[in-house]
Amino acid sequence: MWAMIVKEFRQLRRDRRTLAMMIVMPVVLLIVFGYAASFDVTTIPTVAAGPEAGQVTHLVGEPFHVVATEPSQGRAWAEQQLRDGNAAVAVVTGSGRPQVLIDGSQLFTAKAAIAELSAAAAKAAVKGAAAGGQASPPASQPQPVVTVLYNPDLNTSDIMIPGLAGVVLVFVGTIITSLGVVRERQSGTLEQLAVMPLKPRDVFLGKIGPYFAVAALDLAIVVSVGVGLFGVPFRGSLAVFALGAVLFLFVTLGLGVLISSVSENQGQAIQLSLMVTLPQILLSGLIFPLASIAVGVRWISYLLPLTYFNEIARGVMLRAEPLAPLWQPFVLLALLGAVVFTLASLRFRADLAPAAPRRGAGSPRRPESARGAPGTTSATSAVGTPGTRSAG
Amino acid sequence: MTELPVQAVAVTRAFGHFVAVDQVDLQVRPGEVVGLLGANGAGKTTLIRLLLGLLRPSGGEIRLFGEPPSRRTRARIGYVPQGLGLYDDLTVGENLAFSAAAFGEGPGAAALPGPLLRYGDTVVGALPLGVQRTAAFAEALAHRPDLLVLDEPTSGVDPLARARLWETVAGAAAAGAGVLVTTHYMDEAGECDRLVVMAAGRVVARGTAREIAGDARISVVQAESWAAAFGALEAAGLPVALVGRTLRVPGAPPDAVRRALGDLPAAVASAPATLEERFFELTLSSAQTEARRDRRP
Amino acid sequence: MTAPGAPGSAGAWWGTEDVCVRFGDTLALNDVWFRAEPGRVSAVVGGDGAGRTTLLRCLAGALAPTSGRVRRPIPLETGYLSAGSGVYPDLSVTENLAFRATAYRVPAQQARERGAELLARAGLDRVGDRLAGQLSGGMRQKLGVIAAMLHHPDLLVLDEPTTGVDPVSRADLWWLIARAAAGGAAVVLATSYLDEAERAHDVLVLDAGTVLATGTADQIVAAMPGTLTVASARPAGEAGRGAWRREGRWRVWNPTAADTAGAIAPDLQDAVTVAILARELALVPAAGASR
Repeated sequence: MWAMIVKEFRQLRRDRRTLAMMIVMPVVLLIVFGYAASFDVTTIPTVAAGPEAGQVTHLVGEPFHVVATEPSQGRAWAEQQLRDGNAAVAVVTGSGRPQVLIDGSQLFTAKAAIAELSAAAAKAAVKGAAAGGQASPPASQPQPVVTVLYNPDLNTSDIMIPGLAGVVLVFVGTIITSLGVVRERQSGTLEQLAVMPLKPRDVFLGKIGPYFAVAALDLAIVVSVGVGLFGVPFRGSLAVFALGAVLFLFVTLGLGVLISSVSENQGQAIQLSLMVTLPQILLSGLIFPLASIAVGVRWISYLLPLTYFNEIARGVMLRAEPLAPLWQPFVLLALLGAVVFTLASLRFRADLAPAAPRRGAGSPRRPESARGAPGTTSATSAVGTPGTRSAG
Repeated sequence: MTELPVQAVAVTRAFGHFVAVDQVDLQVRPGEVVGLLGANGAGKTTLIRLLLGLLRPSGGEIRLFGEPPSRRTRARIGYVPQGLGLYDDLTVGENLAFSAAAFGEGPGAAALPGPLLRYGDTVVGALPLGVQRTAAFAEALAHRPDLLVLDEPTSGVDPLARARLWETVAGAAAAGAGVLVTTHYMDEAGECDRLVVMAAGRVVARGTAREIAGDARISVVQAESWAAAFGALEAAGLPVALVGRTLRVPGAPPDAVRRALGDLPAAVASAPATLEERFFELTLSSAQTEARRDRRP
Repeated sequence: MTAPGAPGSAGAWWGTEDVCVRFGDTLALNDVWFRAEPGRVSAVVGGDGAGRTTLLRCLAGALAPTSGRVRRPIPLETGYLSAGSGVYPDLSVTENLAFRATAYRVPAQQARERGAELLARAGLDRVGDRLAGQLSGGMRQKLGVIAAMLHHPDLLVLDEPTTGVDPVSRADLWWLIARAAAGGAAVVLATSYLDEAERAHDVLVLDAGTVLATGTADQIVAAMPGTLTVASARPAGEAGRGAWRREGRWRVWNPTAADTAGAIAPDLQDAVTVAILARELALVPAAGASR
């Protein structure tokens, strides 16, 4: 038995990927749960509109943080700010009681805001009672009318399912795709593809095409079930949503192909896919709100494509956000997509090109050492016609 | 009574309706090299697994050193499977150390033989196939087994390396071990003291290479245009094999071949069949008998 | 269907000239000159690591050499069997051939007919719907060869089509090979079976990336230096270093033999073994008793 233990240790020592996973994973999880995993909201972006907008800043304290005041604007503008994700709470002053609009699609922020307002109302009531028990309304301000927009019942499913759509795309796009492409390398057929009269572009697109289609289908199912069965609203433009999904798919599919190009077998592909997917699920704002993630760690979130798709999905489905205010996540997704996709197709092309020899391609019993830099392609290759050639 | 390394009598093994090994008798005596020949699917691998105790027979009896296969008999066997059974991500030295420990041998058994000394610290996956095979042999022999079971031990290796591996095998046999070998190289049949030919789960021939090849004869065709002759023989439904520029037709007498060729200029003669051609014939005729029982190849 | 080029017709050849292939600091092929002609079968032999697969990959277009020239047909006219059959294990026999047919632009009807004929002759006609991964090794290799020659390539490159394959399937494979050559293709195959190499029209012997011998089997045998005798045991001392075991006896090679008393006629396997041994002995100075 001791011999078995020694042997396993020796093998493990050489298996760099598993080692990396064993060390990196706990570190990642520690960081996430130490700095990111929190449902506490410390800042609530607020806008104020209406004639007394200026006073709102003084009247509301932490955690509300006034980011804009527009005395000349009214409720319509305030609603638009919420819709466009510029703020989570809007205070509209005017004649009569001030209206407080809360963005229900930011669930934890909304809950925090409501809790704050309830506490303030309770405080005011106590103050009023302490000020002599007069029946007159408190001398400070009139009680605001609080309305929760977009997710009035504060349902968790309403905000989870749009994000879940993204997770599905990550799953099919990255994990499944990486398996599909690595399978080619494992079965030794990649080399066959390399010598066939097929253009690398055709092979590449042909390979990811089905996964694209399946992912799109999965997405449609998730959204339909969400809307049909769980009553998640879909208030916005289908076209905007679809565009966001397509861009996001480019990124995830590209990641899948990239992962497969550095993996020699399905086991390695899964390892790497998991390492790439897990942070996305935890840090993209899907579960833990972005606002709660410590700033020092939040920069990671901004590198993750799911973060942006989450924003798009929630915005479109719950708040009917149009394309214009969503330009930022769209542009960033497009940028990420361009980079990842280009890298992926370059590496794929390299696999199929008659240049760099790859170690371990196909036959396991033939360790022709292929370590080292790819050979230069300074050789001449006369292809096509020999001296004389019989007509075909 | 001397206990034979292997004494198998009427061994049968079925998987559902499929009979992989059918009434096979097999013996291996100490110091003897027995060659097991057979097509893929003939039952060789199943038979070996039965002998090693990895499978239980459905019928018949297997005795290794006089007793049924057990952990104790396993300790007296050295086995080199087709896949070599080495850990690709361990060095040669580490592989031998692990094996020595597993067989309960002292560290002396993990010592590297001469030819492997320079590879002791190299990871197996990085070594050429010939060296890997040598290492697998060394591992199998380290605990001085009384029975050596080798499954295609020389596949894919150059002739000089092959000769050296056979030297090792002969050495083990000379030291008293019984050896059971499967191979596809017909000339290695000459290294064996005895051959056992299997087809469709049964033994279809036994004896030395010469005995098995027997008096079988085939027809040899030398033609100006071998391609045309090839086509003509094909069209007549005769099995043709190309060897260099000549064609060999097993199972057909020269006049039948002559007829098939028509008036194509060619010389047709009779020649003794090689072991491989005889083997081919044996397997084919067995397959024809087999085709009557509906069976997956 | 390509009209077969007459063997040896001036200029019609595929192959390599002074090809070197370097992987990092390993020289897998060193100045290799090789020629394959239509209608002929050429065998490439050598041990593992000799460079056979590397050479074949260059010929098939899967690898570009570091230097030197490779003369090969366009991909559409090349057929390649990589080491490891190169068929999709999770597609059926017919599906695999259908994919090849489309990729190589063979009209569907023609592909079906040719495929059916080749499968039937190779004994695979009953397993058309079976997944390639469920076929036995020999059957999978046969499928691989059929897939490689389905489109009538001018150059058919086969990497160890018969290694580990049972003799019956090997006979079928050789039928396929002969058929391809009869149809005018230049067939190049790598093999570790020297009796097979003898069946080829010409042979290239590689060892550690360089050419040890080339020519027809007869030429290589005739060019073998020294003489060969048979003994019942390995001779002692210096002579023992030039001996190896074969079929239960020992071949003893005398590099400088003048008298041919008791010498046997070597075959290709002997000649190749001598070539490898000669190189080894030249590299390793005499140092006591070997092993």
